[in-house]
Amino acid sequence: MISQFFVLSQRGDNIVFRDYRGDVQKGSAEIFFRKVKFWKEDGETEAPPVFNVDGVNYFHVKVVGLLFVATTRANISPSLVLELLQRIARVTKDYLGILNEDSIRKNFVLVYELLDEVIDFGYVQTTSTEVLKSCVFNEPIMIDAAHMPPLGPAALFMQGNKRMPGTAVTKSVVANEPGGRRREEIFVDIIEKISLTFSSSGYILTSEIDGTIQMKSYLSGNPEIRLALNEDLNIGRGGRSAYDYGGSSGSGAVILDDCNFHESVHLDSFDVDRTLTLVPPDGEFPVMNYRMTQEFKPPFRINTLIEEAGSLKAEVILKVRAEFPQNITANTVVVQMPVPKYTSRVSFELESGAVGQVTDFKEPNKKIEWGLKKIVGGSEHTLRAKLTFAHESHGNITKEAGPVSMTFTIPMYNCSRLQVKYLQIAKKSKTYNPYRWVRYVTQANSYVARI
Amino acid sequence: MSGHDSKYFSTTKKGEIPELKEELNSQYKDKRKDAVKKVIAAMTVGKDVSSLFTDVLNCMQTENLELKKLVYLYLINYAKSQPDLAILAVNTFVKDTQDPNPLIRALAVRTMGCIRVDKITEYLCDPLERCLKDDDPYVRKTAAICVAKLYDINAELVEDRGFLEGLKDLISDNNPMVVANAVAALAEIQDSSSKPIFTVTSNILTKLLTALNECTEWGQVFILDSLSKYKAADAREAENIVERVTPRLQHANSAVVLSAVKMILQQMELISSPDVIRNLCKKMAPPLVTLLSAEPEIQYVALRNINLIVQRRPTILAHEIKVFFCKYNDPIYVKMEKLEIMIKLASDRNIDQVLLEFKEYATEVDVDFVRKAVRAIGRCAIKLERAAERCISVLLELIKIKVNYVVQEAIIVIKDIFRRYPNTYESIIATLCESLDTLDEPEAKASMIWIIGEYAERIDNADELLESFLESFPEEPAQVQLQLLTATVKLFLKKPTEGPQQMIQVVLNNATVETDNPDLRDRAYIYWRLLSTDPEAAKDVVLAEKPVISDDSNQYDSSLLDELLANIATLSSVYHKPPETFITRVRTVQRTEEEEYPDGIEGGYAETSSTLVSDGVGSSPPTSTTHAAAKPPTAAPAPVPDLLDLMGLDGDDNAIVSVDQPATDAGPPLPVLLPAAKGQGLEISAQLVRRDGQIFYSIMFENNTNVPLDGFMIQFNKNTFGLAAGGPLQVPQIQPGTSSRTLLPMVLFQNVAPGPPNSVLQVAVKNNQQPVWYFSDRLSLLNLFTEDGRMERSTFLETWKSLPDSNEVSKDIAGVVINNVEATIEQLGSSNMFFIAKRKNGNQEVLYLSAKIPKGIPFLIELTAVIGVPGVKCAIKSPSPEMAPLFFEALETLLKA
Repeated sequence: MISQFFVLSQRGDNIVFRDYRGDVQKGSAEIFFRKVKFWKEDGETEAPPVFNVDGVNYFHVKVVGLLFVATTRANISPSLVLELLQRIARVTKDYLGILNEDSIRKNFVLVYELLDEVIDFGYVQTTSTEVLKSCVFNEPIMIDAAHMPPLGPAALFMQGNKRMPGTAVTKSVVANEPGGRRREEIFVDIIEKISLTFSSSGYILTSEIDGTIQMKSYLSGNPEIRLALNEDLNIGRGGRSAYDYGGSSGSGAVILDDCNFHESVHLDSFDVDRTLTLVPPDGEFPVMNYRMTQEFKPPFRINTLIEEAGSLKAEVILKVRAEFPQNITANTVVVQMPVPKYTSRVSFELESGAVGQVTDFKEPNKKIEWGLKKIVGGSEHTLRAKLTFAHESHGNITKEAGPVSMTFTIPMYNCSRLQVKYLQIAKKSKTYNPYRWVRYVTQANSYVARI
Repeated sequence: MSGHDSKYFSTTKKGEIPELKEELNSQYKDKRKDAVKKVIAAMTVGKDVSSLFTDVLNCMQTENLELKKLVYLYLINYAKSQPDLAILAVNTFVKDTQDPNPLIRALAVRTMGCIRVDKITEYLCDPLERCLKDDDPYVRKTAAICVAKLYDINAELVEDRGFLEGLKDLISDNNPMVVANAVAALAEIQDSSSKPIFTVTSNILTKLLTALNECTEWGQVFILDSLSKYKAADAREAENIVERVTPRLQHANSAVVLSAVKMILQQMELISSPDVIRNLCKKMAPPLVTLLSAEPEIQYVALRNINLIVQRRPTILAHEIKVFFCKYNDPIYVKMEKLEIMIKLASDRNIDQVLLEFKEYATEVDVDFVRKAVRAIGRCAIKLERAAERCISVLLELIKIKVNYVVQEAIIVIKDIFRRYPNTYESIIATLCESLDTLDEPEAKASMIWIIGEYAERIDNADELLESFLESFPEEPAQVQLQLLTATVKLFLKKPTEGPQQMIQVVLNNATVETDNPDLRDRAYIYWRLLSTDPEAAKDVVLAEKPVISDDSNQYDSSLLDELLANIATLSSVYHKPPETFITRVRTVQRTEEEEYPDGIEGGYAETSSTLVSDGVGSSPPTSTTHAAAKPPTAAPAPVPDLLDLMGLDGDDNAIVSVDQPATDAGPPLPVLLPAAKGQGLEISAQLVRRDGQIFYSIMFENNTNVPLDGFMIQFNKNTFGLAAGGPLQVPQIQPGTSSRTLLPMVLFQNVAPGPPNSVLQVAVKNNQQPVWYFSDRLSLLNLFTEDGRMERSTFLETWKSLPDSNEVSKDIAGVVINNVEATIEQLGSSNMFFIAKRKNGNQEVLYLSAKIPKGIPFLIELTAVIGVPGVKCAIKSPSPEMAPLFFEALETLLKA
């Protein structure tokens, strides 16, 4: 059981503080913040999510720049507390529409009411927005969403995809629209984060997709929903030989290593026809999480060439090729590469006619950074960077530079080829036809090319 | 819609309180609600609004739940400072517990449980009794938690009113939420009670496993955690349990997955079929790996747990090493844990791949991570003999990049590799020597100097190299000085020529006359004396063959690992420490009427108003209600150099503990171990004692000096049972002519001395005024026999038969007379040697007894004697016959007493 829950701003201000058991001193928030801010232990400069100071155990997670913290004196399950903190953040966001310091302060009475229902005497009671609706009575006060940067994974869709209603993802699941009526709609997002490492010769050393099917429902009356996935979806790679499993990046079955489902999901027919049945609770929640190490076609190939030009100069040529179809566009692409520590100056040369590209030499941490606003499928871009060294190199520049890493977002594209074939809503009447949004997005988690 | 809450924070106008008072008494409901909100807002920013108590209370009688909740929030905060006024709320509370609306009933009983005022508590009992049997599950689940609240305030009341039984009935409730809360409440109550209150029987097990499927994710964790203490009767039951729990591995909540893993691991201990085990390992792997796709915070907890799991069952993740490769954007705390696991999973099969990764990490930007990666390469070399050469060549490659901290880290690990594989890789010394000038970190310098000294005969210019360090000797850190001293002595012993002879003069002079570091001085004097009296003996000592070090990647000994594995999915598994080392549950004291807030000022009132931040909403009893003695000790005592370890070869985790608050202990006189004459006036008497199943060191200090003594610390040398201080030594400052006595709790198996068992217990004590005192005590099995050593007659016979005859040892104990069998049995029983049976053999009495020492090692005892005639024959059988001498020693002491 937890003793206290609190939310701190980045500056360490107390935004919310709730004591459930009275066995931890009141100054705990300050002790916690000081410890985290000046963390230096075992050669690590970032505080781990769980630590102990004078017999009090502190747990924390960072959500949109806020610190969600819990304390306890008992030997309880740390994953339970960390999951709980994430969940409190999600429920609060469901209620407030937007989660930030301002929205919490404006709705402090509601937040305290929520906290009283979520936790009793330190024990989690429920974190389901659906259940909470029956016993929480304060109404949220909306803050002006227009000036707020969008948050959460759904925010990804707001760039480069004009068809999506931008405000939908920031509206509260309990509050009514200004007009008094709620728009009937449901969002199903397939979000994939890819981790991939290329060897220096361009082979794929490791690759992994962490995917989530995220749902956010604004449907009234909670109708039943059927989601159909690829029929040839396989789970578990056990029993297959390595020969079957590798090398098929074009077609063939989608093989997940492992997956898990939200508790509202019925899997009765999943084994037969790969459909999921559920009555979506209110609020945002993951219908299914999955993990895949089956080989897939990497969205980008990275090519790096380093040429020494005398003992005090070298040229780096970075080439990025988009391997996805032409009707798809990646955005907010950033390519980074650490250069030798003794690099004193870098001059960049972009390809002629380059639009929306920026370059920078991050002097303090000796990194070159190349930003590209968009990359259209099938295209290739090159950057030349001329390095000047403060003193002679030790002989092998490639050992002291790199690896090249990349971050990007590709809307309406997913590498796993997992698909929602259809989304069926049990009909209440013939005229009932809510908006259905099924959206895909691929993001880089750790996308690295060694040199 | 009620507009922006933040407007309630608007600036204080003149007469805010009277204004609020007026609004609270308004005839309009909305105005009253707004006013209460303003009051709460004032309260959260620390303003004192307690004077509005009665006015707020008046708003309590409302059907509006929103308003009622606000009033309750206020009450929880201020009831403590206004106990007399709080009584006024009781009627409404009690009435609310009978309200037709279940939400109001639950809210009332929940809030009453949070108000820790005795007068309110009295009125809580009847409603609570009703609510435990309420028709509505929401009320019952709230009542279940309320029993735990009440137990924390007044345990007796809970027992007297039969609430524990009520709670147990709820385990069979048809609503899984109620079951989960009942289990959580019972588990907490059991935790704070010494009586058996809640034990999971096979009947309860069945009920809970059924409820498991229907519960919320959080309820599933409560239930799994309470079931993890259940011991299955046999492999079949264990398999059944596992089968019911396995589906939980698919859960999206990592807490459910880890608690299920814990449960399965525990039951696996009972399962012997290798097929079943293999199958379970296969099932656990994907969910464990999936945990690494969660948020970094969750990953961290998962990794710390996986670290333990792979130490016991390496096969589970043997083929998954790739998932532990670091991603460039992992937080540092995740990267560090991944490295640890990579080392643990490294094998001859995957080492090439692993080395490739480590090499890559060693060129990254983050210095700490780079160092750890370099060290990881060295640890793999030590772990995998067949791969050692490849590891070393990677290290040499890294040294050639000439990045300063990489070189230094590499030298440190290479020293360890030399110790692991002596006389194998010395050819690389030349390469190492090239980097000599760049070393500027003490540990790297010390390592390099050790290497030079150790291989002085193979390094042509060893004397020159060492000499270059000698110039700066006085400025070097202690670690480097010590190594320089030893290395120079080694060099001299190996090459007793003129150069080294001069060097040794300089070093010895520096290390004795010029220094004020006692460790260095002591070591220098020992060398000096050895060299001047018997150079051959010096050779034997200084150049003695060193024990080969071993792989430390599975660093925990099996008893600690057992304990940690039993605590998977708890904080213990994240800290890798047994729970008792960091858990300091504060029990709220039972208050009596007299000491309870005599003037009504103490408590939340004054305190809240002085708090700057918005922390006033919760119910936080002031710290004065907690035990003074519950002040938590520091989680990990600061490491202090090992007082007893002269050669500095080992001793990283010594249980040196510092002085904290005193705890006194009066008792029978203790044997004097350090007489005042030897201790410059300090007399120490001490003895091991066993109380309530716990071993203590009862120790008394008598100050016969003429200055006050303080800052007492104690340390125990390695001993057969690894006895060590389990907490800080609590001795206050001792004034001249006075004494102080304390009981120091002891723990077992901390620093176990290898070799045959013996009863020596060496103790070092220091204080701020005197040198370190060393003395010897004896440990006796009498202190170690556990309370659960009683054996059934049939078990005794079976065990006796199952042990080979070579495990039987006997001894005649002369000079002991048994005059009365019953008295002897009682005497033995009081030391946890339990009587099983007796028989007569002619005129001899034969007694059978059993005893057990920690780690569950039993002793089966046969005593043969003639009543009234001196001499007792004792025969014992035990799985650890090497303990026999200790056993006889203990028995003799006891029978002679």
